[in-house]
Amino acid sequence: MPLLVGVFEAPNKVVDVVGRLRSRGYDQLEVYSPAPFPEVDDALLERPSRVRLWTLLGGLLGVFTGFLMTIWMSNDWQINVGGKPFVSIPPYVILGFELTILFGGVLTVVALFVHGGLPHGKFGKHDLGYSPRFSAEEFGLTVRCKERDVAEIDALLRAFEAKEVSLVEP
Amino acid sequence: MTPPPAVAVADMMRPLPTTADSQINRDILSVMDRPTLPYWLLLGFLVVFVHAAGAVWVYQVYKGLGIAGYSHPIFWGVYIVTFVFWVGIAHAGTLISAILYLFRAKWRNAINRSAEAMTVFAVLTAAQFLGIHVGRIWKSYFILPYPNQRGLWVNFKSPLVWDTFAISTYGTISALFLFVGMVPDLAIARDRSTGWRKLLYTTLALGWNGSSKQWKSWNRTVLHLSGFATPLVLSVHSVVSWDFAMSIVPGWHATIFAPYFVAGAIFSGFAMVLTVMIPVRRIFGLEAYITDYHFDNMARFILLTSLIVGYSYTIEYFIAWYSGVEPEQTSFWYRAFGPYWISAWTMIICNAVIPQILWSKRARTSVPTLFVVSVFVNIGMWFERYVIIITGLSREYDPAVWGTYTPALPELAILAASFAFFAMFFVAFLKLFPVIAIAEVKELAIHERAHAQGGAH
Repeated sequence: MPLLVGVFEAPNKVVDVVGRLRSRGYDQLEVYSPAPFPEVDDALLERPSRVRLWTLLGGLLGVFTGFLMTIWMSNDWQINVGGKPFVSIPPYVILGFELTILFGGVLTVVALFVHGGLPHGKFGKHDLGYSPRFSAEEFGLTVRCKERDVAEIDALLRAFEAKEVSLVEP
Repeated sequence: MTPPPAVAVADMMRPLPTTADSQINRDILSVMDRPTLPYWLLLGFLVVFVHAAGAVWVYQVYKGLGIAGYSHPIFWGVYIVTFVFWVGIAHAGTLISAILYLFRAKWRNAINRSAEAMTVFAVLTAAQFLGIHVGRIWKSYFILPYPNQRGLWVNFKSPLVWDTFAISTYGTISALFLFVGMVPDLAIARDRSTGWRKLLYTTLALGWNGSSKQWKSWNRTVLHLSGFATPLVLSVHSVVSWDFAMSIVPGWHATIFAPYFVAGAIFSGFAMVLTVMIPVRRIFGLEAYITDYHFDNMARFILLTSLIVGYSYTIEYFIAWYSGVEPEQTSFWYRAFGPYWISAWTMIICNAVIPQILWSKRARTSVPTLFVVSVFVNIGMWFERYVIIITGLSREYDPAVWGTYTPALPELAILAASFAFFAMFFVAFLKLFPVIAIAEVKELAIHERAHAQGGAH
């Protein structure tokens, strides 16, 4: 299937053209942005990122580990301080807190790898539609479509102020 | 619509031109250009300095801590002072990258990368001092709860154990934060480099191409890491302060210690960012990105935290008087008028008096003034920890165990080398990685351009 690449300068045009393309039923789209633009990403993927689930999972795992570890170890090696209870919750809150952050943070980064699809592609090889221009200041929109739709999409991209449109794969 | 014949589609084939680049990329990546001779000389000097201090440390391990100035009853000296100092320096990076991120303070974009890198290197420097301070370095793993044949576990009620967890969590999270934030910029560098650099950036950029899926996860990750790092940064220096405040030593046993230390940490951290970034901006010509506006904002933070620190100094004296506890009162009298009076007054003048000049807009926008103030703050904050630790220990309750402490030469050599250690990593970082967060600066530039063109954005 042919692959078209449109080059854009303004993020709002990318948002508009993605909306139009999707309303016409073209959904094999990919956008390459030079910087974080949440509106552009939302135009393509409206589902909230799943990273949040990993953060929650990591945080819960951390807080449970923190409290269970300290309570179990205090009972396993009992230090008698003036007959006070072996387990003392207030200082263990600090351990529970630090491990919440440690586990939550690490799993959040794991989630970036899983849901962001990193590492991406073969080592040193780019996607077909990617160009170093998209790590400069331009946006790339790639559309995979049937041969008979090429002319229509070409016209549509240009109508939304695409600077250039290329067909990189017939 | 009639589909065009296949031949016509093939005729439309044309490769994507790859010429376009951006001024922002060029400017910031040019910092990493081929190092000059002065750069190599500086880096070489730092490496030699660090190794010389390493030799002093090896000698100390061989001879024992007796060669440090430790003498009864003062067994926490310059090493612990310097540990607390460097942990404090680390705090500005997280404040700038996490807290200002959550507040959507966009001015942070120009300085967050360098401040995050400073955080990682400062934590690394601080961590060295834990090893240097314990006499038997080969037993330092005893602080970790690991299964052992004796069936022992660490005492989780000890603030030193809390500190171990806090500092290692802080080191891990700030390193992850630095790396995650840098991945898009590594891809920018990858697309524009050759040779061994190409290989390095291709490896570290993990095939980043800025697709929506990647940015969407990245945005969420940075948001959550910021959310975690914000309470973490407050907790780390609170825990460090509890290393002191949980004891009953006069001058240490105060509930104000946690907020007092956190404010002091942010104060010294911002000062260090200024001390480092003023020369860096000048040398690499980054005036277009790190403007006087950024320095002005940082100066305001320094002023605010200076007021909090000054207030804490006052409250410490007030509470000592108001408590009616004689050892507490004596300890604070001793602090200001005893043999350590020079350190105490250096701390008060550098931290609470000199920064008041920043009320004036002219001082905040004068780069030389800011540089001088930031150096004074660094000196003052080192002395603050020195005053708290040394005066506290030298006059406890029983006059029979009073004593004084003077730093010995090996301690001063290792203190000086800690600055070289920190600088060594930072100087190497300057030539290896983008020192300004390129993608985030670009985000602002593209938004501004869209506005200028009257887009509905």
